[in-house]
Amino acid sequence: MSERYLIEYLSRDSERLPAMRNIYRPHLMTVEDIRDETPDVRTLRLAFQDQAVGESFAFVPGQFGEYSVFGAGECVFAIASSPADRGHVECSFKLMGKVTHALRDVEIGDTVGFRGPYGNGFPLESLRGQNLFFAGGGIGMAALRALIEYCLAHRQEFGHITLLNGARSVADLVYKEDMVRWAEQPDVQLVRTVDPGGETADWDGEVGFVPAIIEKLAPQPEGTVAITCGPPVMIKFALLTLERLGFPQERVITTLENKMKCGLGKCGRCNVGPVYVCKDGPVFTAAQLQALPRDF
Amino acid sequence: MMACRMLRPEKLEEWLAELLRSERRLIAPQRQGEDVVFQPVQTVDDITLDYINTRWPVKAWFFPPSEPVLRYRYQGSGVELEQPNMALEPRVIFGVRPCDAAGLAILDQVFNSDGEDEFYTRRRTMTTIVGLSCTHPAASCFCTSVGLSPTASAGSDLLLTPMGDAGYLVETLTARGEQLLWEYGHYFAAGECRSKEAVTEAAEARMSRQAALAQGIELSERLFEHPIWAEVARKCLGCGVCAYVCPTCHCFDIVDDSDAWGGVRCRNWDSCGFSLFTRHASGHNPRPQQDSRYRQRVLHKFSYFPQRWGRLMCVGCGRCVTNCPVNMDIYATAQAVLQVQGVKHET
Repeated sequence: MSERYLIEYLSRDSERLPAMRNIYRPHLMTVEDIRDETPDVRTLRLAFQDQAVGESFAFVPGQFGEYSVFGAGECVFAIASSPADRGHVECSFKLMGKVTHALRDVEIGDTVGFRGPYGNGFPLESLRGQNLFFAGGGIGMAALRALIEYCLAHRQEFGHITLLNGARSVADLVYKEDMVRWAEQPDVQLVRTVDPGGETADWDGEVGFVPAIIEKLAPQPEGTVAITCGPPVMIKFALLTLERLGFPQERVITTLENKMKCGLGKCGRCNVGPVYVCKDGPVFTAAQLQALPRDF
Repeated sequence: MMACRMLRPEKLEEWLAELLRSERRLIAPQRQGEDVVFQPVQTVDDITLDYINTRWPVKAWFFPPSEPVLRYRYQGSGVELEQPNMALEPRVIFGVRPCDAAGLAILDQVFNSDGEDEFYTRRRTMTTIVGLSCTHPAASCFCTSVGLSPTASAGSDLLLTPMGDAGYLVETLTARGEQLLWEYGHYFAAGECRSKEAVTEAAEARMSRQAALAQGIELSERLFEHPIWAEVARKCLGCGVCAYVCPTCHCFDIVDDSDAWGGVRCRNWDSCGFSLFTRHASGHNPRPQQDSRYRQRVLHKFSYFPQRWGRLMCVGCGRCVTNCPVNMDIYATAQAVLQVQGVKHET
């Protein structure tokens, strides 16, 4: 053996090791704003404490992040804010478990963690020039919000936009202020619905489950892409309804919300067959889902 | 980069003794009660060569059962992040069986690519693996069934194969291995590459489990939904021991542990056999029963991982077979599943 190998070996290690980066280290974020969307859904607006990171941070609508409260742990949510909103990310979460309870307790000025963006995001190229039919149920709207903001910011690149938003009850409808703003945009139709029994006396929207309202609205499949996100049971029937209306599976897009820990394809938790939701998803077409084992 | 040396039997102990005195930490198999385990060596006399395989694979020396990936301190309403301390010392792990070394090559693909996991990768970079070929496989061993062999070199930096009285054939497989050989060259006699084929064949002849599993399982909707999963998983307690003793299982959880001043974010071994593994916050669980969880374990190793990384995620060490409290047997399961798959092809 020659000295060459020693030099190669040592130089490789000394050059390589310090360059490695802790992939689990989150960015520190300051809580800038807190909005209550519903009695149990809250939106946090977070600013990057490192301005340089904030300025260079970019993501594709549909990508997600790991949000953390130091001491409670990490949780996966979609990045719910507009990609044009530089230096910030927003997340909307429903009060469910340990981390969401801890997130509920943070106050303006507090520090939380964020790492991302992870995942594939929506296929923007295949959406351009198309009519878009959004159908979001409950907190599922959070995964659509970044894309809706993007499409409205690039309004001329997309055709007619339908926003169908459903929730269990009137009180559970998220993004009420955003909806008003979105509906004011040209060529945008906003339809809101609540589950039967969830309406109030002065409710002027639809009453019925999201799939039923999709059926009623009967969007034309030609030139339209349907994008749907919500609880598993809603997705299941929304996909069936869209199929019945004649949407080809390649033009129906949804997201999978599997449990995740690392977000990086390593912790082995979010796979559906050979597909890792954190790497290959979370955005899938119905055609892609059709090819996967029923394990989600 | 294939080069061969011989290590005379009497030189082995001398070499290990010098390694022990060097700046590298020497980790080698030692007796611990009934078991043989990898431990840092205090004295060369503690090292044993009398083992079929160690109680645990070598995995934990790179991917420990629990380790901090982040430290933090509260500072008013702010937080200060700290990098966890990692004891980064150069190490030699001596006596790793080819199945366990092959397990490292598999973990490398997960942790050392597409977003390097520095905790794993730094330890890997600082560690030289001296493999030791297997001459007397156990009844539970099935490495040849999954495309390996008792003298396979994958994952080792140096591989020693016992060649009887002549001593050990030394194969140099990586730059790390060459480096070690370069430093301790005087223990190794240069010579022609002798074939280890006879040793391999003799060891393989002692193996009773020699099914053809290396092609993996070809997943179909019919196979995924087949009642065989309920059948093979009926006994499963979901205890997770199969994952914990596995040289290739790498699923982990990330949790915080804190006090009033700060805390650590740890990653801990996890297992797809646990009911909470995939349960959503909403309560929805994609794998609600043990059969769907065991199916995930088998298909991850024999179908999903091969599709993603081009090789099986099982090295045939047999630890999950011998440690299962209810005698579940992944070797038998894989065969049974392949039989179901085969029926499809005939019809």
